[in-house]
Amino acid sequence: MNILTLLIFSPILFGIIILMLPTGYRNIFRYLTLFATLLQLGLSIWLYLNFKTGAGFAGVANESQYQFVEKLHWIGLNLGGMGRMQIDYFVGVDGISIMLLLMSSIVMVIAAVSSWELNKNHKGYFALFLLLDVAITGVFCSLDFFLFYIFYELMLLPLYFLIGIWGGVRREYAAIKFFLYTLFGSVFMLLVMVGLYFSVKDPATGNHTFSIIQMMNPANYDTNSIFGLLSHRLLFGIPARTVGFIVLFIAFAIKVPVVPFHTWLPDAHVEAPTPVSIILAGVLLKVGGYGIIRICLGIFPEVALHGAFWIGLLGVISILYGALNALAQRDLKRLIAFSSISHMGFVLLGIASNTAEGMSGAMMQMVSHGFLSSMLFYLVGVIYIRVHDRDIYSFRGLGTLLPKYTVFIMIAFFASLGLPGFSAFIAEAFSLVGAFNSKTIPVWMAVCGSVGILLSAAYFLWTLQRMFFGETRLKGGEIWKLALTDVGKRETLALVPLALLTLALGIMPSLVFDKINDSVLALIQFIQVK
Amino acid sequence: MITLSNFLLIGAGLFCIGIYIILSKRNAIQILIGIELIINSAILNLVAFGKYDKVNNAGQAFALFGIVLAAAAVAVALAIILNVYRQYKTIDPSKVEKLKG
Amino acid sequence: MEAAIPYTTNENIALLALLAVLLPLVAGIGNALFLPKQSKLSAWVSTIAILISLALAVDVFARVWSQHTASIHLQYLWFTIGQTQIVAGVWLNNLSVLMLLLVCIIALPVHIYSMAYMKGDERYTRYFAYLSLFCFAMLGLVIVDNLILVYLFWELVGFASYLLIGFWFTRDKAVQANKKAFIMNRIGDVGLMIAIGIIYAMFHTFDLDLLFGRGNLAAQSHIQSGLWTTIGHYTINALGVPIASSSAGQLPAYCYYIMCAGIILAVAAKSAQFPLHTWLPDAMEGPTSVSALIHAATMVAAGIFLLGRVYPMFTPDVLTIIAAIGCFTAFMAATIALTQNDLKRILAYSTISQLGFMVMGMGVGAYSSSLFHLATHAFFKCLLFLSAGVIIHEMSHLKHKHHLDIDPQSILHMGGLRKLMPVTFITCSIAALALIGFPLTSGYLSKDGILIQAFEWSQDKSWAYIIIPIGALLTSLLTTFYIARLIFKVFFGQSRLRHIDANIEPEAHEGDWRLSVPMVMLAACSLFPLFSFNPLEYKHAWLVNGLGGVLDLESSYHILVPVVINGVGLLVIYLAYAVYVKQNVHWLKQKGLLFNLSFNQWYIDTFYNGVIVKLVLFIGKVLYWFDQHILDGFVNALAAIGIALSKVSAWFDRYIIDGILHLITDIVKQAGNFIRGFQTGRVQNYLFTMLFIILVVYVLKTFI
Repeated sequence: MNILTLLIFSPILFGIIILMLPTGYRNIFRYLTLFATLLQLGLSIWLYLNFKTGAGFAGVANESQYQFVEKLHWIGLNLGGMGRMQIDYFVGVDGISIMLLLMSSIVMVIAAVSSWELNKNHKGYFALFLLLDVAITGVFCSLDFFLFYIFYELMLLPLYFLIGIWGGVRREYAAIKFFLYTLFGSVFMLLVMVGLYFSVKDPATGNHTFSIIQMMNPANYDTNSIFGLLSHRLLFGIPARTVGFIVLFIAFAIKVPVVPFHTWLPDAHVEAPTPVSIILAGVLLKVGGYGIIRICLGIFPEVALHGAFWIGLLGVISILYGALNALAQRDLKRLIAFSSISHMGFVLLGIASNTAEGMSGAMMQMVSHGFLSSMLFYLVGVIYIRVHDRDIYSFRGLGTLLPKYTVFIMIAFFASLGLPGFSAFIAEAFSLVGAFNSKTIPVWMAVCGSVGILLSAAYFLWTLQRMFFGETRLKGGEIWKLALTDVGKRETLALVPLALLTLALGIMPSLVFDKINDSVLALIQFIQVK
Repeated sequence: MITLSNFLLIGAGLFCIGIYIILSKRNAIQILIGIELIINSAILNLVAFGKYDKVNNAGQAFALFGIVLAAAAVAVALAIILNVYRQYKTIDPSKVEKLKG
Repeated sequence: MEAAIPYTTNENIALLALLAVLLPLVAGIGNALFLPKQSKLSAWVSTIAILISLALAVDVFARVWSQHTASIHLQYLWFTIGQTQIVAGVWLNNLSVLMLLLVCIIALPVHIYSMAYMKGDERYTRYFAYLSLFCFAMLGLVIVDNLILVYLFWELVGFASYLLIGFWFTRDKAVQANKKAFIMNRIGDVGLMIAIGIIYAMFHTFDLDLLFGRGNLAAQSHIQSGLWTTIGHYTINALGVPIASSSAGQLPAYCYYIMCAGIILAVAAKSAQFPLHTWLPDAMEGPTSVSALIHAATMVAAGIFLLGRVYPMFTPDVLTIIAAIGCFTAFMAATIALTQNDLKRILAYSTISQLGFMVMGMGVGAYSSSLFHLATHAFFKCLLFLSAGVIIHEMSHLKHKHHLDIDPQSILHMGGLRKLMPVTFITCSIAALALIGFPLTSGYLSKDGILIQAFEWSQDKSWAYIIIPIGALLTSLLTTFYIARLIFKVFFGQSRLRHIDANIEPEAHEGDWRLSVPMVMLAACSLFPLFSFNPLEYKHAWLVNGLGGVLDLESSYHILVPVVINGVGLLVIYLAYAVYVKQNVHWLKQKGLLFNLSFNQWYIDTFYNGVIVKLVLFIGKVLYWFDQHILDGFVNALAAIGIALSKVSAWFDRYIIDGILHLITDIVKQAGNFIRGFQTGRVQNYLFTMLFIILVVYVLKTFI
C-alpha cells in the first residue's frame, strides 16, 4: 500500500469507526482521534526521514523525481467526440510538500489534544475533524489538479460545520462568510482548471489531462489552445494566461490570506473553537501559500515573473496592514489573527523575490508559522476556557498569577516576533535577504517589509506588558483569580513540543532547508528559464 | 279515407304529449302516465303499420308485446317510486338530486 | 595568512573562545531549569562560569593580541539555503579578543556585586540565569564571523536586556521601560537587517573577514556616477588567500546610503544616540547591577563595536555624519545631565554622552582612540553605577527605617556621605575623575586622544567642521560640571534628609565585601597604569597600538587641548563646589528656558510619547476602521446585495412563475365549475337535454 495513500486516508477509517459507535462514548472518540493523528504523525516522520535529497530528487517539473508516487487510472470516461477524459489518482511529494505534510501532521496532533475539553456533539465533531484531516493531507500530496481541487473543496465542508456549530458568539456569520468567500475563489479556479485541461495533452496517452506536472511543461500545450504559451489568446482583452494566473492567484490569495482578501480571517479565527483556530491558522493558510507555489508559479511561471512586483507589493501591504491592524485590537485572538496575516505577508514577499533565499525563507516561514500560530492560539484557548473572556484590557499582571503560562507566552510571542534562536527569525531574515537580493522586486519593498518586524514587536510587547506584567488586576476579580489555574499537564504536553520545535528549527534550520533546497533551486531555475 | 298518416299523426301527437308530460310534471306518477302515453303511441304506430304484414301479423303481435312491456314497466316503475318515496319522502323528481355534480 | 602561533593551533584558540562564550549559556540554562527560585547556588554557578570564561578570555587575548595583523577564523557549515552556504564561525582579531576580555573583566565584578545586591530577592535564581544569558549573548556577539550571526546575537543581547530591565515586572514603570527599550532596539534591528540585506545583495557574502577583514571587499567598492560597484566576489581559499571568483557587483548608489543609514540606525538604537536614546534613562528601572553591566559597559558598547567592525565600509561623508550625530548626542545628553536629580539618571545621560564621544571618535577617524575610550569608560562607568547602587541601597534603608516618603535615588536628599561611606566615596571619586578626564586616570588618555584627533581632523577642512571638536570640548566641560555636582551633592555637605525631618541621624555603612571589593578593583583599573606606562601620552597605550595606532601628527593640539581642558576643568570643579557645597554662588538659576529644556530632557521623550506613539496607534485604529467598514463592509455589502437579489428572485419566482401556474389551474377550475352546472341530478333535466341534443343533431344532419 502506497504510504501516501495510507497517510491521506487512514483518518477516514477512524472517522467511520467513530460514526458507528454509540453516542455516549465520549472518551473513546477523543482517544481514537488522537490515535489517528498520532498515526499520521508517525507516517509523516517516516516519510520525512526517508525522503531522499539531492539534485536527482528535486521534483517540481520532473515527474520521475517525485517520491512516494502513486499514479492510478481513476476516471477514464469516453466522451465520444471529445476524446477520453483522463483523471488519475496521482499523489507524490517533493521538497515543496514534504515539510508542509510533516508540519500539518504535528499541528493536527496538537489540535486533537486541544479538543479534549469539548462539551457537545462529540461524535460529529471528531468525525468532521478526521474528514478535515484527510482533506488537508490530500491537498498537499495531490499532483493531479482534479484531485487537488476535490481535496481543496473538501476542506471547506467540515470547517463550515466545525465553526458554525462549536464556535463562539457570531459563529454562523463567521462560518458562512468563510465558506462563501473561499468558495468564491475556488469556483473560478474550477473554470481555469477546465480551461487548462482542454489546453494540455498528456504526451503518453494523447488525452487531455489534469496532471499538474504535465501542465507545467509548455510543450504539452496544444497549439491554439486557450492557455497555450504560443497561442497568445486574449480573454476580455488581456492575455489568457495572465487571466488564468490572476484567477488562480486570487483563489489562493483568499486562503493565504492576502490583503485585501483577508476579511474572512479575523471573524473565522475568532469565532472558531480553539482546535479549529489552530488548524485554520496552522495549516489552512499554508494551503494558500502552497497553492501559489505549486500551481500559480508552476503552471504560469512567466506571468509570475512579470508580475513579481505586484505580488511583492501585496506581500508588503499584508505585512504592514496586518501589523498596524493588530496594534488596534482589544481581542487577543483577533490580534493574533491579524498577526497571522502579517506573517504570511513575508511568505508572499519571499515568493515574489524569485531567489533561492527568498523562496526558502518563504517556505520556512510557512512551517515556522504553522507551529507558532498553533502555540499562540492554544495559549489563548487556555485563558478563554478558564474565564471566557479574551479582551486584553480585562487582564493585568498575569505573570505573578500564572508563571508557567507566562513562560510559554513569552516563548510564543518572542518567537513570533522573530527573536533569533527561533524559527521565525531564520524565515523572516532570509525572506528579507532574498527580497534585497532580488532582481524582480525593488529594494524599497524589502525595506518596508523590514519595518514589519518592528511593528510585530510593538503589538506583541504591548500585549505582554498590558496582560502579563504589572500588578495583578482582573476584571472578574476574585472569581477569576480562582478560575485562572496555571497550565496543567495536558496543556504543557501540547505546548512543550511546539516550543522545542521552533527552538530546534531556529538553531538547526538545516532540518527544513536540507529537504527543500533541491526543490527550491529547481523551482527557481524553472521559473527563470521559462 | 283514414290513411296511414292519420294514425302516425295521432301517434306523434300522443308521443309529444307524453314527452311534454315527462319533462314538465312534478309528480313521478304523472311522469309514469307520460311514459305510458309514449309507449302507447309506439303501440299505435306498430298497429298502424301492421296493415302491411298480412302473413305474420307482426305489427299486432309486436303491439301485444308492447302492452305487456308497458304493464311490466309500470309495475317496476311503481315499485321504484314506492322506494323513492320511502327514501326521500317525496315523489317530486326535481327534489331528488343526490347525483348533482 | 593565519600566523602560526607556536605550541597551540589556531583551531584550539578559536575553540577556547567558543568555550568562553558557551559557559555562561550553560550556567544560565542550568539556573533557569534546574535550580529553585531562591537558590544561592545559582549565583555561584554563574560567577564561576564567568570566572572560567575570564580565564579563557585572558588566554585567548594573550595569544592573539600580539600578532597585529593576524586573525583566526574557524568556520562550521550551519545550513545551506539554495546554493548559498551559511556558516557559523568564530573570527578572532584584535577587536574581538579585546571585547571578549573586556566583557568578561566587567562581568565578573558585577556578578560578585550582584550576589550581595540581589540578596533576598524572590527571583534570585532567575536573575542570575538572565545575567548569564546576557553574558552569553554579548560574548557571542564579539566573536562571530558573519553578519547573520551578528544580527542573531545583537537581538539576543537586546532580549536579555529586556528581561533584565523588566526583572521586577510587577512595577509598572519597569515594564514600560523594557517595552520601550526593546522596541527602540528593534528599530535599530530593522536598520541592521536592511544593511545586511543590501550588503548581501552587493557582495553575496555575509562573512566579516571577507568584507571588512583580510578580503577587504567593502573598502574596495566605490561610488561613481550614481552606481555603487565592487570589484569582484571573493572567497578565501584553503591557504587563507583571498581570490576573486565571480563578476563585479553593481547597485544604484542610493543603496549604499540606505545601508549606511541602516547601520547608523542600529548603532543609534543600541548605543543610545540621538534620536533613539530615550530608552536608556528609562532602563534604569532595572536593578543597578544590571545597569552597571549592560547599560554602562557592555551592551551599549555593542554599537561602537559594530561601528568598529564595519569601519572600512564608510566613506568620508558618511563618517562626517556619524561624527555629527555623536557630537550632538554627547552635547545634548551632557546638558540634560546638568539638571537631573535622580542619581541613576544622571549616570545614564552621562553614558549617552560618553557613547556620543565614542561615536564621534569613530566619525573623525580616531578608530583606536574611540575603542580605547570604550574600554576605559566601561571600567569607570561600571564603577559609578556600582557605587550608585550602594548609595541607593543605603538611602532606601534610611527610608524604610524612618518611614520617609522619598525617592531613594534622588540626590536632593543625599549629602555628607563622605564620612559615612569612605570606600564608596574614594572609588566613586576616582571614577568621577576618570570621567572628567583628569590626568593620571585612564579616562584622560582616552578622552583627550579623541579630542586631539577631532581637532586634527577638522584642521584641513572647511570652517564648519570645527563645530564638532568645539562641541566635544564644551561637552567635556559640561561633563566636568555635572559629575562634580553629583559628587558634591552626594558626598559633601550635610545630609539633606535633615531638611525633611530634623531628628534623623543619617547613618550608612559600607556593604559587605562583595559590594566593596569589585568597586575597589574597578577603581584600580580606572587609573592609568593599566593602560599605559606614560600617563600623559595616549599614543603609547598598548590598546591604541594594538588597534592600529594613531597618526603621529605632532600638532600643537597635543599640548593645547589637554592644558585647556584640564585648566578650565579645574575652574569648573571649583564652580560646582561653590554652588553646591559652599552655596555662595547663586547665579545658576533653577528656572528659565534653558533649565526647563534640560530638565525635561529636551522634551524629546514627551514628543515621542505624545506624537509618534500616538500617531502609530492612530494609524492602526484608522486602518482597523478601514478594515472593518470599508473592506469588510464591501464584503458584507456584497452579501447584502446577494440577499437582496435572492429576495427579488424569490418574489419573482413566487408571484410570476408560480403565478402563471396558478392562473392555469384557476382557468381549469372555472371551466370545471361551469361544466359541473350541467349535472343537476334531476332526471327530467337530463331527459330534456338528451332530447334537445338529438333534435339539434337531427336538424343539423338534415339541413346542413
